[in-house]
Amino acid sequence: PPDGGWGWAVVFGASISIGFPYSFPKAFTIYFKELQAVYSISYSQVAWITSILCATTYGGGPLSSILVNRYGSRPVVMLGGLLCGVGMILASFCTSILQIYICVGFITGLGFALNLQPSVIIIGKYFLKRRPIANSLAMAGSPVMLCSLAPLNQFLLDNFGWRGSFLILGAILLHCCVAGALFRPIGAATASVKTRVTEEGKAALEKKVTEDAMEMNSPMNIPMENKTEEEGGKNCCEKINQYLDFSLFKHRGFLIYMVGNVLMFLGFFAPLVFLAPYAKHTGIDEYSAAFLLSILAIVDMFSRPTTGIIANSKWMRPRIQYFFSFSIAFNGTCHLLCPLASGYTGLVIYTVFFGLAFGMVSAMLFETLMDLVGAARFTSAIGLVTIAECCTILLGPPLGGTLIDTFGDYKYMFIKCGAVMVLVGAFLFIMNYYNYRMLAKEEKERKAKEEDPESVRTENEGRNNWDKETTQGGPELEPLREEQEGLKKQVNGT
Amino acid sequence: MRVVFSAKGPGRLLQRLLLVLLLCPFLSGRSPADPTMITQDANQSQGNSLTKMQAELNESSDNTSYEPITRTVNWKTQDNSPDDLTLGHSVSTPDITTQELKQAANESLSNGTYVEYEVLLPGVSGTSVGKNITLSSATRIELSCKLDKKYPHLRGLQVTWKRGNETIRHINKTENSWSIQLMISDNSQLGNYSCTLKGEEEISAVFFLEVPKIETKEKLIVSYERDTAIMICKSSYAPISWTWYMTNGSEQITINDSLLADKYVISGISANVTQLKITKLTKEDDGVYLCEAAFELGKSKGKLKLKVLSFIVPLKPFLAIVAEVVILVTIIFLYEMYLKKKEKRAEYEREFDQIEQLKSEESNGLENSGPRHRRI
Repeated sequence: PPDGGWGWAVVFGASISIGFPYSFPKAFTIYFKELQAVYSISYSQVAWITSILCATTYGGGPLSSILVNRYGSRPVVMLGGLLCGVGMILASFCTSILQIYICVGFITGLGFALNLQPSVIIIGKYFLKRRPIANSLAMAGSPVMLCSLAPLNQFLLDNFGWRGSFLILGAILLHCCVAGALFRPIGAATASVKTRVTEEGKAALEKKVTEDAMEMNSPMNIPMENKTEEEGGKNCCEKINQYLDFSLFKHRGFLIYMVGNVLMFLGFFAPLVFLAPYAKHTGIDEYSAAFLLSILAIVDMFSRPTTGIIANSKWMRPRIQYFFSFSIAFNGTCHLLCPLASGYTGLVIYTVFFGLAFGMVSAMLFETLMDLVGAARFTSAIGLVTIAECCTILLGPPLGGTLIDTFGDYKYMFIKCGAVMVLVGAFLFIMNYYNYRMLAKEEKERKAKEEDPESVRTENEGRNNWDKETTQGGPELEPLREEQEGLKKQVNGT
Repeated sequence: MRVVFSAKGPGRLLQRLLLVLLLCPFLSGRSPADPTMITQDANQSQGNSLTKMQAELNESSDNTSYEPITRTVNWKTQDNSPDDLTLGHSVSTPDITTQELKQAANESLSNGTYVEYEVLLPGVSGTSVGKNITLSSATRIELSCKLDKKYPHLRGLQVTWKRGNETIRHINKTENSWSIQLMISDNSQLGNYSCTLKGEEEISAVFFLEVPKIETKEKLIVSYERDTAIMICKSSYAPISWTWYMTNGSEQITINDSLLADKYVISGISANVTQLKITKLTKEDDGVYLCEAAFELGKSKGKLKLKVLSFIVPLKPFLAIVAEVVILVTIIFLYEMYLKKKEKRAEYEREFDQIEQLKSEESNGLENSGPRHRRI
C-alpha cells in the first residue's frame, strides 16, 4: 500500500463520508419540534426517525460489505451518496410522518450504510504503516461535521422552514458522491493492471527476440484464460464466502472484538444523549447545556488525530489492542465519576474527559478490527460487526432512559454505562493478552515447521521490507505478505 | 340538592368538588361575560384537596414544552353548542339547570380563591423591589410588605400603600408588616400597587398585577405556498376564550373559522393551548397574526409572524450545490483519467526504450559475432 500520496486525498474523502452518517442523526434533532408541531405527534414518535436512520445505517453493513467485495469501494459510495441525497429530497415533499420515516429513515439510512463501510475499507487498502493516523483522521470528520451541521441546520430552519431545509440538506449530502469519486481503486485492481502491462511488455520482448509475428498473441492470451478458468469452478458456499466471509466466526481475534464491542455499545452513546438533559436537570440553563455538547465535540475533534498519532508510534502499534481496552476502561471510569461532579465546572471537567475518551475509542474502533483481521478479510468483518452492534447501539439510550425514569435520578444511568465500559475494557484487555500469546505461539510453530531455505529467504525479505515492530502486530500482515509473495513469484518465476 | 350548595362548614370542600364536576360540560358553551366560569386555583393557592380533574387541569399548565400535551380534552371555541360533551374522561353529570349553577357560582365567588403575597423590604434606602403577580380570574388578594428584623433602625416608620396617586387604607398585620386586602374582579383593578416606607429616603416595594402572558414562538414561521402552517399560542392559565386576528397593514381582521372552514381551522389542544391551522397558503397569508386570550380580568395578546415563500426560494441554493457537486466529481474523474494516460504513456515509452536498447545490442552482437550478453 502506498501509505501516502493519493492516500491523503482518500482520507479526506473518507472523513466526509464517515462524518455524515455519524453526525447527521444528532444534528437532525433540531427539526424535531417543528415536525412535532406540523404533524401533531409526540416526541417518541418523532424520535423514531433517527432510530430508523441509525438502525438502517448499521443494519445495512453486510449489504455494503457484499457490494464492496463485488464492485469495490468507489461505486458503492457514490451510489450511497446518491441515495442519501434522493432520500432527503423526497422527504421535503412528504405529507405524512410515515412517509418521512421511509424517506429519511430507510432511504437516507441505506445511503449512509453504503457510505460508512466502504470508506473504512478503502483506508485499509491505502495505508498500512500509517494506518492508525489515517483511520483517526478519517474518524475525526465526525465531530467536525457535527460542529458545522448543527448551526447550519438551525440557520436553514430559520430561513427556509423544514421543507426547504430538507431539500438543501439533500444537496449537501450529495457531497458524499464527491468523496466517493476520490476513492480511486487500488490493490487488486492495480495489481492486475501491472501484471497485464508487464505481460504485454514480456510479449513485446519475446516478439523481438524470436522474431515470429504469429506467436506473440498466444503468450498474452494463455495467462488470461487461466484466470477465467479459475473463477468458473466455484461452488455455492465458496461463492457466499467470496461475498461475505463467514469463516470469520472461527477467527479468535474477530470473536473477541465482536463480543467486546457489542457489549461496549450498550453504554457508549447513552451518556452523550443524556448529557444535556442531565445538565438541565441539575439546574443549568439551556444554552450552557448546549455549550457542553460543543465542548465535547471540540475536544473530540482534537483527541481523535492525537490518538492516531500515539497509536501509530513505534511503541504503541504492536500493543494497540491494549490501548483500545484502556481507552474503553477510561471512558467507563469517567462515567462512574460523573455523579460526583458538582456544579457547572464539575460538569465541564467531566465533558472534557468524556470528549477525550470518546475520541480515543472512536479513533481506534476500526483500526483495531483491521489489526486483528487483516485488510483482506476486513470487508466482510466490518459488515458482520456492524449488524451485531446495531442492536446494542439502539438499545443503549432507551435502556438508560428507562433507568432514569424508574429511579428518577440520572446517576444510575451513568453508573450502569460506566460499569459496562469498565468491564468490557477489562474483558478486552484480558482476552487480547491471551490472543497475543496464542498468536506468538502459533508464529513460533509456523517458523519451526517451515525450514525450507527459499521460504525463509522470502520471509526475511518480507521482514526487511516492513519495519520490525509491525511484524508483532498479529496476523494482519500474513495475507498482505502472501499477496506480495504471490506477485513476486509471478514476476520473477517465468 | 340545595343542601349541596350551602356555603358553610365542610360543604365548602364538597361544593368545590361538585362545582368542578358540574361546570365542565358547560365550559364549552359559556360566553365571556359570565364571570363564574373558571374556579381554577392559581398555582400558589392552598387548594390541596383538588379533584383529579382539577389536578389535571393544573398539571397541563405546569407542563413545559418538553412533552406535548396528548390528553384527549378538547376545548372548543364559544361557537360550539353546549351539548357537546368535550371531555376525554367519562364524567357523569347530574341534571342541573343553568340557573342553579349560576347561583352556586356566585356564591363561590364570594368565597372564591384567596391568595397572599408577601415581599421583604430592602434595607437599602432609595431602592425598590418588585414582584409580578399574574391573575387570571377574580381573586381576593392580600399584599403585604414586611420589614426584615435585621433593619431595626427602620422600625417605627409608617408605610403608605398607593396605587398611582390614590392611597389605600392598610392594616398592620404585625409589628413589622403592613398589608392591604383587595378584591380584584375586573380589569380596572389591575395595575401597580406599591408600599412605601418613608424615612430619610424612600424604600418601596411594588406589586405588578397583570393578566397572564401568552407564549408564542418568537421566531418567524416559514412555510410554503400550497402548504399548511400551524401556529400555536400557549398560556399558563386557561383563558375563557381564544380569538385569532390577522393584521393586514394596520387593520385587524378576526379569523372566523366557521366561515372559511377549509382554510382556517382553530382547535384547542387543551385549555391553555390554541392552534390555528392555515391550509392552502398563498402570498396573501403572509403577515402578523395575533392570538388573543380573554380572561376574566382582561385580555392578553400574543404575536406570531408568518412568512410564505414560493418553492423557488430554496431551489436556488439547492441547484447551486448540486451543480457544485457535479463539477467537483467531473474534475476528479478528469484528473484521474489524465493521470492514467500519463502513466500509460510513460510505461510504453520505457518499454520502447528497452526494445530500442535490445535492437541496438542485437545489431552490435551480429557485428561482433561473439557471445551475446543479455542485458535486461
